Amino acid sequence: MAVRRIDLMLCTGTGCVAGGAFRIKDTIENEITKYGLQNEVSVVITGCNGSCGQGPLMVVQPDGIFYGWLKPEDIPFLVQEHFLKGRPVKRLMFVPLERKEPVPLMSNIPFFQKQMLIVLRNKGIIDPEKIDEYIARDGYTAIEKVLPLMKPDEVIEEIMRSGLRGRGGAGFPTGRKWKVCSDERKFPKYIIGNCDEGDPGAYMDRSLFESDPHSVIEGMTIAAYAIGASRGYIYVRTEYPLAIRRMQIALSQARDYGLLGKKILGSDFDFDVEIREGSGAFVCGEETSLIHSIEGKSPEPRQRPPFPAQIGIWGCPTVINNVETLATVPVIINRGADWFSKIGTATSKGTKIFSLVGKINNTGLIEVPMGIALREIIYEIGGGIPKNKKFKAVQTGGPSGGCIPNNLIGLPIDYESLTKSGSMMGSGGMIVMDEDTCMVDVAKFFIQFTNDESCGKCTACRDGSEALLEVLTRISEGEGKEGDVEFLEELGLAIKDASMCGLGTTLPNPILSTVRYFKDEYEAHIREKQCPARVCKKLIKYYVDPDRCVGCLLCVKTCPVSAIKGELKYIHIIDQSLCTKCGQCLEICPPRIAAVTKLTGKEARELQSLPGPIPVAEWKKTKSASKGDFRFTPYREETDREHRGDNEVP
Amino acid sequence: MNRDQSRKVGSAMVVGGGIAGMQAALDLAESGIKVYLIDNKPAIGGVMSQLDKTFPTNDCAMCIMAPRLVAIGRHKDIEVITLADIEKIDGGPGNFRITLNKKARYVDEATCTGCGTCVSNCPTSNRVQPVQKEKIELQPEFKEKVIEIVESNKNRDGPLMPILQQINSAFNYLPENTLNYISQETGYPLAHILRIATFYSAFSIVPRGKHIVNVCMGTTCYVRGSERLMERFSDLLKVKPEETTPDMMYTLKGVRCIGCCGLAPAVMVGDTVFGKVTIKDVPDILSKYKKTA
Amino acid sequence: MAKLTIDELRKKREEARKGIYLRQGEFKGKIIVHMGTCGVAAGARQIVSAFMEEIEESGRKDVMLTTSGCAGLCSREPMATVETLNTPPVKYIDLTPDKVKKIFKTHIMEGNIAAEYAIGIGSERGG
Ligand SMILES: Cc1cc2nc3c(=O)[nH]c(=O)nc-3n(C[C@H](O)[C@H](O)[C@H](O)COP(=O)(O)O)c2cc1C
Ligand code: FES
Repeated sequence: MAVRRIDLMLCTGTGCVAGGAFRIKDTIENEITKYGLQNEVSVVITGCNGSCGQGPLMVVQPDGIFYGWLKPEDIPFLVQEHFLKGRPVKRLMFVPLERKEPVPLMSNIPFFQKQMLIVLRNKGIIDPEKIDEYIARDGYTAIEKVLPLMKPDEVIEEIMRSGLRGRGGAGFPTGRKWKVCSDERKFPKYIIGNCDEGDPGAYMDRSLFESDPHSVIEGMTIAAYAIGASRGYIYVRTEYPLAIRRMQIALSQARDYGLLGKKILGSDFDFDVEIREGSGAFVCGEETSLIHSIEGKSPEPRQRPPFPAQIGIWGCPTVINNVETLATVPVIINRGADWFSKIGTATSKGTKIFSLVGKINNTGLIEVPMGIALREIIYEIGGGIPKNKKFKAVQTGGPSGGCIPNNLIGLPIDYESLTKSGSMMGSGGMIVMDEDTCMVDVAKFFIQFTNDESCGKCTACRDGSEALLEVLTRISEGEGKEGDVEFLEELGLAIKDASMCGLGTTLPNPILSTVRYFKDEYEAHIREKQCPARVCKKLIKYYVDPDRCVGCLLCVKTCPVSAIKGELKYIHIIDQSLCTKCGQCLEICPPRIAAVTKLTGKEARELQSLPGPIPVAEWKKTKSASKGDFRFTPYREETDREHRGDNEVP
Repeated sequence: MNRDQSRKVGSAMVVGGGIAGMQAALDLAESGIKVYLIDNKPAIGGVMSQLDKTFPTNDCAMCIMAPRLVAIGRHKDIEVITLADIEKIDGGPGNFRITLNKKARYVDEATCTGCGTCVSNCPTSNRVQPVQKEKIELQPEFKEKVIEIVESNKNRDGPLMPILQQINSAFNYLPENTLNYISQETGYPLAHILRIATFYSAFSIVPRGKHIVNVCMGTTCYVRGSERLMERFSDLLKVKPEETTPDMMYTLKGVRCIGCCGLAPAVMVGDTVFGKVTIKDVPDILSKYKKTA
Repeated sequence: MAKLTIDELRKKREEARKGIYLRQGEFKGKIIVHMGTCGVAAGARQIVSAFMEEIEESGRKDVMLTTSGCAGLCSREPMATVETLNTPPVKYIDLTPDKVKKIFKTHIMEGNIAAEYAIGIGSERGG
């Protein structure tokens, strides 16, 4: 592709679209093609740039020339003069007023600026319970194009060319999957939208259903047309009541309009969709298991091949796609495979929605082009880590993924790089962890999860996770032995080899990646019996720092097991034999006092509590030399205080 | 008794072909001793072959047993003698002489594949009879709703899940008798229905409280301290996770992510989600539901 | 409802645009409250009713109140987007019924952005 000379940033915010921005776009593209400029000039669609009063508008880059109040009839002249002959058209130019803006433009806020909305194009703009609003935002135009104008093979060809890969985890090329299914000669065929979203920490599918259900329906209809299916299922988790309700409304509206049902839009194509609910089993997100679940069989995965695309639900060829994959399809049809394949990296095309959560300032759903650096996500979009803590790692891919440590922060986010770093794309959860997160604890958490959720069909996964959990628990309780880490690695690799479905083959990832990047933390637990992040309960002690305690009784009153002894204006003392380490005292202690601390390792083992109640005033008078034994560097866990309001000292 | 008592023989007999006997036979044979494995049943395997899972590891019984069956069948030093009882034992340690009474089998063991056709076709005995089932009566409190649910779903493709889901959400659990009823109406074996009912964490086969308190234990909520919330709920309600208060008001449960990670830690009571819950909020949340009790 | 043909769908689209784009309809202001699970959990329902009360009190018939899905920035819920004719949409965050009162007064009635509660003006980058 030739280097582009000019980028036209055409605003497609609500205001400009209403003023006919898309008509302008079509005209421009026609004109450009007429003069053979399509390799030099490209039209880029942008969000609202805040000057709606002058819309439809367009900014010509790199010169930054601003055209406002565009009308289709001006375009031929504009293209000819400016882009062909290089003479900006004064008449159409608009010089924005120098306004003092107390409120920044959305396009200047990094959280929004770095994002690129394709799948979530309608989020927060339309009412998901009104089909008309979706239609108004160019909804169902893709079906309008596909049904009369494209053959099923052409649709598949288009999707293949776009390079779209599955958003459900493994990243299988969607076009190829459709092709396999459409080549099968057995009928009927089925399409299933997978919205089981079992990965904890990921909720993009839920949000998609809640904000734009019709885009999934449209995508499914196109997929069904391409492979020749006449029935579809949407499999949603039962934990998402609102999403289920909105999808039900959307389906019945689409049926009313004849966008589902017999002879869609006057063509010969019939298609309808039914919702099926899951019931809280993670493994049901796996495709074969999902099929068994809908069929009412025992929801255990089965050996593949044959793939569902060959033998799926009710023994018929079935395409299973993640709902985010399906929601991308209409956009590709509308704007073309070429446009889509320009976004992203060589092997990962388009955008991906991530849920950016955990210890990060801006939590939320973000849609970014593939290949964006992790750093941009964490620091620019996410706004960094709260309380100026250190970024430690980000966990992607849910229980099947791994942790990416802070020295890989330049990592581009695409399928291959993530896999190479020992993690995976998964469904797109990004859980940010700071220095207060213990990696052994995190690994233990995930293994506990997979151990619970393993369906029990194959031994490697069922017993392997049990054995891993046993060793991890031992380590986190300070009973770890030399060689445990090696054992974890060896067993992990064995489980990877010997398991049948994706749950088992990816289950050791959280361990393998934390061992790879945070071996020192494991070793601290094993050798020094200390938890550097002060999380593992057996290895920490709560302690009231006598130098800071003012004797306010807050913690004494809060302690659920009455383990804290103290009177007003007397230094409070935690009775270690009673303490259950619930952490409530630390949370309640006002930040400016910060007397409650956590100790670990040697400090905790050698902790000597004050012998008995001493008035605060008296302690202050004691010579510092004689207090030496009771002093430690206070450690504060910063909790989310802004949402709680500071606790007042009575 | 002409045998030389001092001549020790390199062979052993294992009595009983259950899992212990099988393992013993294998161990002996592996150490080079000829083994006679006897059992009074038509086949070795014992009780374990009838179990689904074993305590305490929940291992699948067949997965443990099957390799041993094969190994025994193939081992050159193990001789399996089934349908045999011990008549008499002579001699002493190292040199026993044992007399067996082997019952007639009427089947060529070498060629039988164990297909079972003969058993079900035997005209005189051992006939596998279909069990005559009694018609199941539903308790009055469930009757109307359950019949409605079953009838409206019966003819769908794959009716079992929707039926169980709807019954579970109507009563917060799956009453035992209704499962029998479903089996009768849909033709799914009860064992299969139970298997499904116990597989999914949203189903319960014991009664649960009016309000189900779901504390999110997903990753995000976990790193944001949901474990401590759980403890607090547990303290206040005086039940452990997955238990129900005696007054049948609350069931405390941990769930895997309710998709509200932006507001972690999150708690869902019924269908209502509470976000950014702190330990201090816990009593307030519960008191909201006390009133409606 | 009768099933649509392609032409009818296109007509419908033109018509529907009037409802969602201010410029083409009779409305002068539009308030979108973001109600995904996160919004609802953070109290979006109260915000909707607060806006409704305000609209009722003001007696204005040209202000539209609708709901929509999550706007993406879940930690700052409840959020709302307010848009008046020919001005860019403004997103407000961390709303409470009291803030709603002020926003309605300054933005809808007086036409000035209630800067202290706003996070940004305009919309996000499309694909
Ligand atoms: C244990 C396990 C859990 C899974 N969970 C999900 C899930 O929650 N959502 C999903 O879309 N895919 C999930 N998958 C992936 C599906 O098996 C399947 O690959 C995917 O739905 C295909 O869609 P795609 O091609 O659009 O990615 C899971 C796979 C495994 C092995
Ligand atoms: S992890 Fe708790 S809501 Fe997602």
